Amino acid sequence: MKLRRLLISGAAALAIALPGLAAAKEEMLHLVAPIADYKLYVAENTEKLVADTEAFVAAVKTGNVEKARALFAPTRISYERIEPIAELFSDLDVSIDARADDFEKAEKDPAFSGFHRIEHALWDANSTKGMEPYADKLLADVKDLHKRIDGLVFPPKVVIGGAAVLMEEVAATKISGEEDRYSHTDLWDFRGNFDGSKKIFDLVEPLVSKQDPAFVKKVADNFARVDATLDKYKTAKGYEPYDKLTDSDRTVLAAAVNTLAEDLSTLRGKLGVD
Amino acid sequence: MSASPPSTRLLRTAALGGAALAVAGGAAFYWASQQRGAPVAADAVTVAVTAKACEPNALTVAAGKRTFEIVNKSDRPVEWEILDGVMVVEERENIAPGFRQTLTARLAPGTYAITCGLLSNPRGTLTVTPSEESRAAASRLDVQGLVGALSEYRVYLLRQGAAMVRASGDLSLAVAGGDLAAARAAYRTARDAYLRAAPVAARFSDLEAAIDPRAEYLALREKDPAFTGYPRLARGLFVEETLSGLAPVAERLAADLARLKERLRSVAVEPALLTESPAKLAARLAQGRAERAPGLAAADRADRVAALSGLAKAAELLLPVAARPAPKAAAELEDKLVAAFAAVDGGAAEPAFAALGDAFSKVDTAMNGGEK
Repeated sequence: MKLRRLLISGAAALAIALPGLAAAKEEMLHLVAPIADYKLYVAENTEKLVADTEAFVAAVKTGNVEKARALFAPTRISYERIEPIAELFSDLDVSIDARADDFEKAEKDPAFSGFHRIEHALWDANSTKGMEPYADKLLADVKDLHKRIDGLVFPPKVVIGGAAVLMEEVAATKISGEEDRYSHTDLWDFRGNFDGSKKIFDLVEPLVSKQDPAFVKKVADNFARVDATLDKYKTAKGYEPYDKLTDSDRTVLAAAVNTLAEDLSTLRGKLGVD
Repeated sequence: MSASPPSTRLLRTAALGGAALAVAGGAAFYWASQQRGAPVAADAVTVAVTAKACEPNALTVAAGKRTFEIVNKSDRPVEWEILDGVMVVEERENIAPGFRQTLTARLAPGTYAITCGLLSNPRGTLTVTPSEESRAAASRLDVQGLVGALSEYRVYLLRQGAAMVRASGDLSLAVAGGDLAAARAAYRTARDAYLRAAPVAARFSDLEAAIDPRAEYLALREKDPAFTGYPRLARGLFVEETLSGLAPVAERLAADLARLKERLRSVAVEPALLTESPAKLAARLAQGRAERAPGLAAADRADRVAALSGLAKAAELLLPVAARPAPKAAAELEDKLVAAFAAVDGGAAEPAFAALGDAFSKVDTAMNGGEK
């Protein structure tokens, strides 16, 4: 119990040192359960990512282009959901998810690897030729990621900040169609980032709703708007290609995502995890 | 045990223009999300990313909350990261060519790497020197670190709960199927998960009396109808070497563990779970247990190892948080933990558990009173 008192006084000291961090105190302990539940959510997703990547990699290695194409986006979605945590590991983030732009020779660079390297082969070359080593590496990396995340004590500010990070990610790379430029499966990734952001918000919502119900309502409304717009592009097997997204829907999404990114960036301050 | 890495921080100033963007779409959003010539904190450290490198390529700042202004002088979008080994301490993504963005990070003293555009470009270095701010922080409790540690402990407890329930189901099936070897294996798995959660499970005396009763406290000892749960199963599996009569015991255990799992979920995780609860359990383990049948020697040893690994988990999570405000007590806890692992196999397990319990208590005291 003594340590608990210290925790409270520690949080109070922090609140004095950093203006705007009022009401930290007990709320810091209230974050324990949401952060633990978030880790379990991330663990479920990395388990699924490993299983799905195994099937995807098997399709690539047996030269089954059609099947590999079908598995590409549904496999990635688990990664996109947990990006705030996954991208903490810079080496794996590069080898799993880097884009061609990050390499000197772009698509021709032998170091260009991971999902987007294979995506390029599947859609641009319509072939899995030469992809075997990249496929093996991808699976090894995804397993390594799963293991590392399992051993990671989740930093509260990364978890709480993750809600906004995912929306910024959507704004920068999904609304522009930049990320999945060969397959045009961006709407799947969009859905993954959206799910991941909403999960974090849902977990801490009870902690914020007391102090700021108007904020909670505004965020929930914008989440609902994005959700409904994305759902218009749902198909039996997943999501329409990115180029089917109409200009007016893109405008709706951009506005809602922009507002969400901005609003969610205040979550850390509201919860005292600056 | 390694110290925790400097806390990671993903501050997003999200300088996203508001109303204008609400009407613009797609690419416009992306471009407008970049700042050009916006005002930056006067003491910001400016670093340019060119096509080939960072300029300057070596930065030195004092520890504390620092702001960096990143200018993209290359012709591609760049990401700028501060790295501690492979871990991202802070990053700013998607800085468009010709644009600048700021990043604020709370940095502990040490040497970090910075990324500089293309992955093949050489990385720069960021040296963070000790400051008044970092010296003051050194003696303060890392509140976020503690919240992180407690969250991780909750994850651990929930996982043990799930594991014990799953394994007790396997145990029931094996007993019903007459498979002694499978029953022994499932018993071990279910027992390990239970013991790892023991510092907290021990709080629920009603369940403990059914799950893990001690024969010496029962009127008729092993013959007592209240001799149930794990000890009754162990007696059948390892001493009598028969599954006869164990089916209802295994089923009852599975039901009790399912209730325990729910209780573990409802426990409010507070700092005492990392200090007082392990201290109590270690003290209890130090009392040893009454003479048991020779057939149980291996099972008892495995029990000690599982209980110790549960205590080690609490210590592993507590140590990085305790290291700053209570360095001596933290070092002692680590020593006593190592000694307890060494003693599990030898004859001196009890004194080692007693010392470990004291060490947990001392950390609690030291973190409150400070170390002289």
